[in-house]
Amino acid sequence: MNYADFINLAINGLVEGLVMALPALALTLIYGLARFPNAATGDFVAVGGFGGFAAHQLTGSLIIAGLGGAAAGAAAALLAYWLAFRPVIRRSVITLMLTSIGVGFVYRSALGLAFGHEPKAFDMPLQRAMRFGDVSILPADISLAALTIAVLVAVFAILFWTPLGRSLRAIADDPDLARVSGIRKERSMLAMWTMAGVVCGIAGTVSGMRTVVYPDSGWNLLLPAFAAAVIGGLGNPVGAVIGAILLGVLQELATPFTGFVYKIAIGYVVMVIVLLVRPQGLFNRVQQVR
Amino acid sequence: MNHVLRLSACALALASFSWSAQAQSSTFSVGALTPVTGAGAPYGGGMSKAIEMAVAEINGAGGAKGAKLVLASEDSQSAPQAAVLGAKKLISVSGARALIGVWSSGESLAVIPLTNEANVLLMHASGAPALSGPPVNEKKLGFRFQATNGRFGRAFAEIAKRQGYAKPATMAFNNASGLGNTEGFAAAWKATQGKDIVASVVYEPNRPSYRSELQSVLRAKPDVIVTGSYLADTTIILREWYQSGVDTKWIIPGWAANADLIKALGPQVTEGIISVETVSNETAPSFKHYADAAQKAGINVQGNAYAAMAYDQAIILGLAVQAVGANASGPDLAKKVHEIGTPGGTQVYTFAEGKKKLEAGGRISYIGASSALNFDEFNDVTPDFAAFFIEKGQLVRKYVVKL
Repeated sequence: MNYADFINLAINGLVEGLVMALPALALTLIYGLARFPNAATGDFVAVGGFGGFAAHQLTGSLIIAGLGGAAAGAAAALLAYWLAFRPVIRRSVITLMLTSIGVGFVYRSALGLAFGHEPKAFDMPLQRAMRFGDVSILPADISLAALTIAVLVAVFAILFWTPLGRSLRAIADDPDLARVSGIRKERSMLAMWTMAGVVCGIAGTVSGMRTVVYPDSGWNLLLPAFAAAVIGGLGNPVGAVIGAILLGVLQELATPFTGFVYKIAIGYVVMVIVLLVRPQGLFNRVQQVR
Repeated sequence: MNHVLRLSACALALASFSWSAQAQSSTFSVGALTPVTGAGAPYGGGMSKAIEMAVAEINGAGGAKGAKLVLASEDSQSAPQAAVLGAKKLISVSGARALIGVWSSGESLAVIPLTNEANVLLMHASGAPALSGPPVNEKKLGFRFQATNGRFGRAFAEIAKRQGYAKPATMAFNNASGLGNTEGFAAAWKATQGKDIVASVVYEPNRPSYRSELQSVLRAKPDVIVTGSYLADTTIILREWYQSGVDTKWIIPGWAANADLIKALGPQVTEGIISVETVSNETAPSFKHYADAAQKAGINVQGNAYAAMAYDQAIILGLAVQAVGANASGPDLAKKVHEIGTPGGTQVYTFAEGKKKLEAGGRISYIGASSALNFDEFNDVTPDFAAFFIEKGQLVRKYVVKL
């Protein structure tokens, strides 16, 4: 092991973190507004991955694949909201979470039935890594990082610079006050689910391009994404992204000492430590009980 | 009204139960638990067809000792949980006396406690070493028709030696099968070459990336990497390896390096990969008999060695029932299967032939289509292996390795 190995590990961790960041962001957006951990988030990602894969097969264009993935993710999220979540939205968190687990099962099985369970790879030329001494960087990872940052900027722009974002934040802050101030909750909910779906869809397409697409791919992302969102503070978008990157990098950097089998556990050890020191997550303020 | 309905449903269930109890003497129920969907999907369809074919052949020859074989089928989904549900249904609802066509180690390890408990035979094509002896197979009701992962490892070592590799490394999926392959390889390499492998990594399933794992193996500059892996993780690993631009060769088990892998990655990435799979008993008359019928039934004879194994499972089961009768206990039946699957009797190649010999009185040995069987003390077979090289997107068979 020399310094270059550690830099390589850190880069790998950064890339894994960026892949996790988008689902973590979607999870936290939904939590912020609908106030429940959505276990179907990973499956929105998988639907997005297949949407992107299908669009790419039809057109061969990577941009259309991204748009197709985003559209599929948004459709999956909206459909789930209308058919499953809206009827029970006023019930307890447990009901909503169980509903989301069910929604996830339905999406996963539907994908398995429609596309089969074999992993599918995007038919695109593979680029070799750029080498700087012993450090190697993939051109594809630079585009992945750029795209992730672009999506984050777009989401933050919507949240902080538009009237829609203002109402979303108002509802997240205090739903009752928002309602008496004349903010229409239904419209905001639709916007939020669409946004979360688009983020998931892009995440699915991007991770599908880097690896493979299969029905369980999103489900496998769910727990790491959830841990990232918790580390950053559930409901806090900046926290989710930084939490994901932190988790990815720490996981990889720990491997020379713990071995590869335990690196997943490291992620949850980090989460436990963060929760012990700052139960509200790294980036949340302590909330008052109303 | 509801009450009446429920009562009549009960009565109906009872009636059908007593009917099946009466009918039991003239039928023998077999459960097919094949991987129709999931990771085993490329093989499961063919396995099901091969079992149907064998059962039809047995019943066509007048059944086994007067009993017709009745087949019930469940999809194991290549997943242990689904396999357990399927096995429960086959044993308790369909009354299966033997489960055949079980595929992966995960499924077999999950199902075997149930079959042992019910004194039902389990015939599988799994590689995990744990399925051999006690405690898992203490009752010896389990029969393995595929090579153990340890034997796969020995075949890998044989091929690596033959290709002239000197610095092998291993990558293993963290389960019984993956570890069995690479540990078997490392042990065989050490025994024949007197050297240790240069690096080994065990990785967790279902990760979006295996780049760090790969880098840690490549750091030792191996000339070949031997894997114990499955299709999804192999696809990701090979993609990341190709992108890294490092030159090395690969030896991969056939269930991971198959046509689906080539389809997913393309000919450029997969060029030169060595895929190792067991080969059927191609020179035996039983194989010809099987292959002719299998071709007609639309089974991929060359690409699906598991279908021949499933076929042999049904045939040898039929022969054992012919020998000891449909009402024999599970352990008696298992003893007979072991006897018919070991040398020492008159060699037979089809069910009809074996039935005739058994009726005349005397011991038979069934030479299978998948392998000569020849069960060892743990009911494990030792088939031959073939080294396939991927050339321009095609799996090309180069040579056969005998252990």
